[in-house]
Amino acid sequence: MADKRTMTLNLTDQEMSLLEDLSARKDVSKTALLRQALRLYQVVEARLSRGEKLFFEDDEKKKAELMVV
Amino acid sequence: MKTRVHIIDNATGQPVEAEIFDEITVEHFIETQQNWRPVVLKAARQLASRSSHQLIPQHFHWDWTTKAPELKVLANVFYGISYDNQLQGLMKLETVGQFCTCRLPEQAGKALVYVDYVEVAPWNLKPLASALGEKPRYNAIGTRLIEAAVLKSKEEDCKGRVGLHSLPMTELFYTRACRMTPVGRDPAKQNLLWLEYTAEQAENFLTGAR
Repeated sequence: MADKRTMTLNLTDQEMSLLEDLSARKDVSKTALLRQALRLYQVVEARLSRGEKLFFEDDEKKKAELMVV
Repeated sequence: MKTRVHIIDNATGQPVEAEIFDEITVEHFIETQQNWRPVVLKAARQLASRSSHQLIPQHFHWDWTTKAPELKVLANVFYGISYDNQLQGLMKLETVGQFCTCRLPEQAGKALVYVDYVEVAPWNLKPLASALGEKPRYNAIGTRLIEAAVLKSKEEDCKGRVGLHSLPMTELFYTRACRMTPVGRDPAKQNLLWLEYTAEQAENFLTGAR
């Protein structure tokens, strides 16, 4: 396991509520969820930087492009 | 990470100490192309010449070197098993992404670790070794890799939950040897069978595998 460093994170009530809701749904700790989110952001960012686009597709195969800031 | 694990030397039937590690580099990918792929192709040609096409592994065209850019992506974790100064197996996991969500009704929506690729060195695979007139050299490579996936899942707080798409030839390995639950065919992934571990099943597998 890689060495880990600790940081303090300040969240609004709404952000904390969202974090708690997502971590409950995913059944992982809040820390694990934030680490997953960071890694996912890296994946998205790497693909967008290569000129790829991010889409969501519904059951009828309709695609919606997701804008990422 | 480097850990000692036991695999079985088929020449003696005895366990031997191999090393499983996650410091995978592009050199390991090149090793698979240089040492594994020629053996896979040679065996595949033999099988084709005997009209045993059904025994040709469906992953015979895999090229790990194309995955070199993925080594830099934190969502991916690679594991290798080495013994006798040779790579005996290689696996790629995803800790977050499209397939990292459980589908089994009792744990639907929860996070899991996805096994994206697993490959065992061709000299350890019975159909390929047999095609070349040999016996498989080592057993339990695939089991050790799936065990590593479960341990990674626990480390990631996914409680051992693991999911994967199986090629048709390996479905029996995952259902019988690994005792994973087959959930259903996935039209989004060449209609491959999707299998999953619950936390309890994963724990039972680890207990049985050791």
